[in-house]
Formats: sequence, C-alpha cells, structure tokens
Amino acid sequence: MLKNIRFIGAVILTSMALFACKEDFPVDEDGLLITSRTQCYVSNFELLGSDFQTVRTKNAVIDTTALTVNVEVFYGTDLKNIYPQFSLVTDAKLEPKITGKVDFSDLANPKKYTVISGNRQVKKTYTVTVTVQKP
Amino acid sequence: MKYRYLSYLAAVLSIILSLTACNEDDDGLTIAPKNELQNDVIKRTLGPNLVGLNIEFAYAMAIPKSLGKLVSAQVEASIGGAESTYLDNKSYYTNGSGQDIGIQVGSVSVNEGAKTTVTFTKDTTAATLRYFYRIPTAARGKEVTFKFSANASNGQTVTYAMGPYKIAEMDMVLDLDVKDSTAAYISIADMAVYSPAEAATKADKIDLVYLYRSIPNITFNHALVAPSNKDYLPGVKLPAGVSRTAKINKVWALRDFHLARLQFGVYIDDLDFQQLDITNSPDYAINMRAEAGAWVETADGKYRAYIYMNSVNNGTKSAKISMKRYTLK
Repeated sequence: MLKNIRFIGAVILTSMALFACKEDFPVDEDGLLITSRTQCYVSNFELLGSDFQTVRTKNAVIDTTALTVNVEVFYGTDLKNIYPQFSLVTDAKLEPKITGKVDFSDLANPKKYTVISGNRQVKKTYTVTVTVQKP
Repeated sequence: MKYRYLSYLAAVLSIILSLTACNEDDDGLTIAPKNELQNDVIKRTLGPNLVGLNIEFAYAMAIPKSLGKLVSAQVEASIGGAESTYLDNKSYYTNGSGQDIGIQVGSVSVNEGAKTTVTFTKDTTAATLRYFYRIPTAARGKEVTFKFSANASNGQTVTYAMGPYKIAEMDMVLDLDVKDSTAAYISIADMAVYSPAEAATKADKIDLVYLYRSIPNITFNHALVAPSNKDYLPGVKLPAGVSRTAKINKVWALRDFHLARLQFGVYIDDLDFQQLDITNSPDYAINMRAEAGAWVETADGKYRAYIYMNSVNNGTKSAKISMKRYTLK
C-alpha cells in the first residue's frame, strides 16, 4: 500500500513538472515588453518651452508616409531649451530616448528620431523640422 | 470524557478572553488638569523669513481662577526686532462669521531692547496674545530665537522657547511699475526701475529692459530683454552705455506667496537661488503674461533674482512687477 502511494506521488510530481507552463514574456534591453504589434508611427507631437508651456503656434503636421514632423514655433522661442514629447502607437518606443531639454537651434539640420514597433522588428526614422514664426 | 471537554472549553475561553481584553488604564485620552500657570505658543507665519516682513506667533497663557490672574506677558528675541515689533494687547476669539474679534486686555506693548512687554489691565485668567516680530536688517542670514514668558499675580512665571528660525539672505521688493519706454530700465542691483534719463547715469547697473510691442503675426507683448540683445528690442533706443547682458529663464505658474500674494502656498527661498542653474538660458523673455515670472542672473554673476509679473496692461503698455533677489557670495 505504502509503495503504491509513493509511486502515485512520484507520477503526479513528474507530470506536474512536465506540464508546468513557463510564462514567457520577452523583454528588450530597456525592460520593455516585446509584443506582436507591427504598427510603427508617431501619433502626436508636442514641444514645450522652459516654462513647460507649448511653443507650437498650431498643431504639428505629422506625415506617417513621408516620415516627417513639421512644427512651427512662436517668434522668440528659446530653441536651445525645448522639451519634445512624442506620442507613439501602442507598444512602440523611441530612439534616441528623450531625457530632458533638447537643443533644436540648428534649424538647417533637423533632428531625427526613430520609432521602433512593438515587436521591435519595424523601425521608422522621422525627421522633425522646426520653423520659427516670422513677423 | 465530559471532564476533558470541559477543561478544553475553559482553555479556549481563557485564550479568547486574554486576546480580547482591553487595557483601559492607558488610553492616552484623559489628562489630569494641571493646577498652575501654563502657556503655549504656535507660529502663525509660513515660508522663509525675509527682512522687513513679520514673524507672527500666538502666545496663549492661563491660570486657574482660584490661584490668581495674569499680570504681564513678554517676549524676548535673541536679536531685537525692528521698530514696528509688537505684542498685541488684545485677546482674540473667532465669531460665528469666522472673523477674529479682539478684546483689549492689557496696555499697549512696550519695546525695551529686544524685549516686548504687555501689562494686563483687565482681570484676566486666560489670554492669547499675538506677537509680531518685524525682522530687522541686523538679523539677515542669522538665526533668531524667542523666549515667551508670562507672570501671574501669585508670583508664578512660565516660559516657552521658540526657534531658532533662520532669517533669509534674500531681499524683496513689491509692486514696481514698469512702463514701455518711460519706466523701462530695471536694475537688479538697485532693485529699482529707472527712466531712460536715469538709466544713462546708471548704465552699469541696468540689467533688463521692459517693453511692450504688438507686432502683427507674432506674439511679442510684454517682454523682459537684456540690453545686449538688440534683436528683441525693436524700436528701442537704448540710453548711452546701457549694454549689459543677463541670463533670463521664463517660468510659468511659479506664484511665490510673498510676491504674488495669492492663494498659492509656494515660496522661493535662498536655497532655490543657490541651486538655480540657468547658464544655458537666453538673454530675453518675450510674451510674459500676468502670473508668469522669470529667473534672472546678472552678467557679473553677483545677483540672482526672480521677477514676477503681478499684472499686465496692454492698453497702457505697462506692468506691475515684484522681485526677490539673492546676492551670491
């Protein structure tokens, strides 16, 4: 009888070990979840001045085909101290990361930002062109 | 068998009782009244202590009627307050409409050196007197302590020590009127606004120019611009010699309580000026709105200031500004 119990116990343990599911949530180097999404675009774009108020004169024009963001800022905007804000499609991330103020004063050489899709397979590089309002 | 159950039951019951027993001896709510003269103090002002402002306290004292009455109350500051320091000779209560109603209980306070005294003239056993310490220039950057004391007719004396309180290094000036082209030249060093004629004589002290412009297609409006930046001084003919630069960092919704006197409990203190880093800031700030402000650092690095726009008027091309200034060592 005791032998039987031991045998059954061993079988149950083995089967549990075999059927235990491994919860596989792959993450990337930033600790962000890699998903199956392939969408890769910028949905909204904002520029804030050093006083955290918007410096845009109107909504930024985002062309997801041409991969451009065109934005006009107020006359007198301090272009060296600007906080850009990107809104991206679900699960996507941005490269390079925005960690604080960004210098947009070199108007001739627009900044480039790459959007990486949720599955980390699709990459699209947007060019952000800033123009200053003229009197 | 029966006996075993009984003993088990008794054991369980005793455990439950011991777990739920409450100790009513020490609930911390009942305080035996002290039969003697007592006092207490609260500080009523918040924020940094600036020279020229008051530190306000409420000093409460009471004695049981059977023991006597209050004779005098006094406050001694470690650094004598400025002339308008006083201990109120009224005891206040709040009426049904929320207003403080004062009842005179003593003579007008007398300042003797650093000591301020009120002598009671009414038979009073309990009073709360307000103490207004006007911070003197001598206390700048130092710490001040206060010793409150009360005397009763039975000879008892009680004292209560408050502080130390640090007195801020910074200066403040309120409600300077600036007007485009006439009263437009701001000096951080003097904490004053000058006309073009005056500015010409103090050219080395002019840090900012105030101007208002209404230019089609752009938003210029009210601006603070360093004289060095001609691009943002359209149509301004600077007085001879006015050419200094400055670092200006525009800020929104930093409504310092001392400067704005609005409902926001936000204070700029010495520490904010010490830690301020605006080295990458430009030398202009345009489109300044009411309740906005700007951090400024002078070209010689001697002063840092925060200029707050109390109000603006597009019609008269003018504004009312207030300023806190910190002198860097």
